[in-house]
Amino acid sequence: MSEPFRRSPSGIVVDLPDPLRTWLATMAEEAGRDAVDPGGAVHRRILGPIDPTADHDDPLIELQRQFGVEGSLSILIATAHATELNEEEAEQWIRALQLVLAATAARLSIMEEDDVAGLSREDAQTLTTLQALISLMIDALDA
Amino acid sequence: MTDFDTGLSGGTDTAQRIDIPWEVILWNDPVSLISLVVRVLKKVFSYSQEKAEQLTMMVHNDGKAVVWTGDKETAAAYCVALHGYALGATIQPTR
Repeated sequence: MSEPFRRSPSGIVVDLPDPLRTWLATMAEEAGRDAVDPGGAVHRRILGPIDPTADHDDPLIELQRQFGVEGSLSILIATAHATELNEEEAEQWIRALQLVLAATAARLSIMEEDDVAGLSREDAQTLTTLQALISLMIDALDA
Repeated sequence: MTDFDTGLSGGTDTAQRIDIPWEVILWNDPVSLISLVVRVLKKVFSYSQEKAEQLTMMVHNDGKAVVWTGDKETAAAYCVALHGYALGATIQPTR
């Protein structure tokens, strides 16, 4: 496989296999669903309060954060099979991949680095794949 | 003559709330890449590469770091920006 992400004059060219693209869209959909479940670990990890001393955050801030999460994930879902992204879409991919990574870590109850060592091979591979994609996208955007 | 209402005449409590600086705390997480955290600190706070790397290593080694101090409203906005990249961040008044 050639470079998964590379800079072009108009943005970032995406060269990922179709099954990986479909997997990313599915993971983003799951992260979005879990993020709005107020009783779940993913919600606490992604949309937990910013001021732990207060009973709850300012409702406007809560709304702003929820829109931000939904926006980033929806752009990844909508462009999962795109061959080229503009700068803003590519930046949203980094945010969305980070959200998917955080949601996965929350589901797997990863709180410390030692927790990663106890993961199954499949779960460890999921984290490694997401981290690699984030790293490669950063390299392409900052090239 | 009528006093000009500055909006800051709510007494000591109001003045204290305005005056006390707030901190943005960035917490370590075991899955986010160091390169990602450095990039986000540069992008959100316009920090230099050197300062962003220094703060990232403090987060990594100490479990957390104060990445910005100032008024509460701006601290909250920065915190929301960090959360946009799924980084664990909170705000608190300085002690």
